Amino acid sequence: MLKPFVSILVIPVVLVCAAPPGSARAQAPAAPKVPRAADGKPNFTGVWAGPGFAHTVGPRDTDTPRVVAYDPKNFAPVKPGGESFLKRKLSGNTRADDPTAFCLPNGLTRQILSPYAQQWIQSSGHMVILYEYMHFFRAIPIGAPNRPHDKDVEPTWMGDSIGWWDGDTFVVDTVGLKEWMFDASLDLGGNGEARWHSDALHFTERLRFADPVTVSYTVTVDDPKIFTAPWSQEFGMKLHPTWKIFEFVCEENNRCQGGQCADSVGQKK
Amino acid sequence: MVKNLIGVVVVTFLAAAPSLYAHHSFAAEYDGTKPVKVTGTVTRVEWANPHIWFYVEGKDEITGRTAVWGFSAAPPGMLARRGITKDVLKIGDTIQVEGFLAKDGSANASGGRVTFADGRQVFTASTEDSAPK
Repeated sequence: MLKPFVSILVIPVVLVCAAPPGSARAQAPAAPKVPRAADGKPNFTGVWAGPGFAHTVGPRDTDTPRVVAYDPKNFAPVKPGGESFLKRKLSGNTRADDPTAFCLPNGLTRQILSPYAQQWIQSSGHMVILYEYMHFFRAIPIGAPNRPHDKDVEPTWMGDSIGWWDGDTFVVDTVGLKEWMFDASLDLGGNGEARWHSDALHFTERLRFADPVTVSYTVTVDDPKIFTAPWSQEFGMKLHPTWKIFEFVCEENNRCQGGQCADSVGQKK
Repeated sequence: MVKNLIGVVVVTFLAAAPSLYAHHSFAAEYDGTKPVKVTGTVTRVEWANPHIWFYVEGKDEITGRTAVWGFSAAPPGMLARRGITKDVLKIGDTIQVEGFLAKDGSANASGGRVTFADGRQVFTASTEDSAPK
């Protein structure tokens, strides 16, 4: 998906290398003119189409919602016993098979892939992310790199996230995640299996602008109860200045909850 | 011509929604082995989260069952982002909807493909979905 972005980054490097000695300074391409905050940091403020969209660039540029899951090709080897933790067969009990059917949260790893808009609001001290889906939010404190998390973090669906700057890359480091669904793989594999992560998951997100409206979004999954080593996958986000996030109240009309449908007004006899 | 194209795009997005953009996995609530193909009249539209629902009074040609069928689709915000409002489906429209039955066997389904009276037929689901065959 990010091939075009890679090309954008690679071509200037080739140009610089091919330039005659002494001319590199004149030939060197300018750094991408990304939005900058008052403190000089890249500014992620805006409404974004995140990884849960197919980004098509061109005259008919559009962002099409899609089901996205983590690609097993990127996975590190699974530990002995980790497979049963990672892959869970459908049991017929919807509350266990996919709790989101009851309007329970996606959890962080599935939330960031949801095909709904997200709004980022950046200050020098916090990165606030408002997710349209389920009205979830994150208020991520920005501070020193690799500082410790709070002690005795109680596991939650979105975990304990802290952020820092690594040059122009914004890093979010999350622990304290409840054992939960890893992604929406139930709808992709067709084999009646859902992927889950453990409560030992350490999840890292690294974001950097590839151009003024495109962000490379790389996540690193370190789940020592399942995988033998950390592994990463790159996604993308597109800025949409004309978008806004919409209200999404899951309980409003969640008919057929768990596969059990209550008659609508129009269906009652 | 342009009008037809707009219609196709609108219907594609509207009906592709049930499993593709569900707030939960398709497999959790619908039975991909039980297709329905209902032709009838739109009787009601519920434009609300987490999915819009539209109702069609008619007969499922696969089982012969007649009912007021409920079909789920995308959430309103997702449709609004594409400029689609609830006027897209009008009460009294004659349509054919193909989808998959809810797990409880009631007359409710995840919609998958909609055909209008003028013959427009749109295959709507992606390869990831349990699409009508």
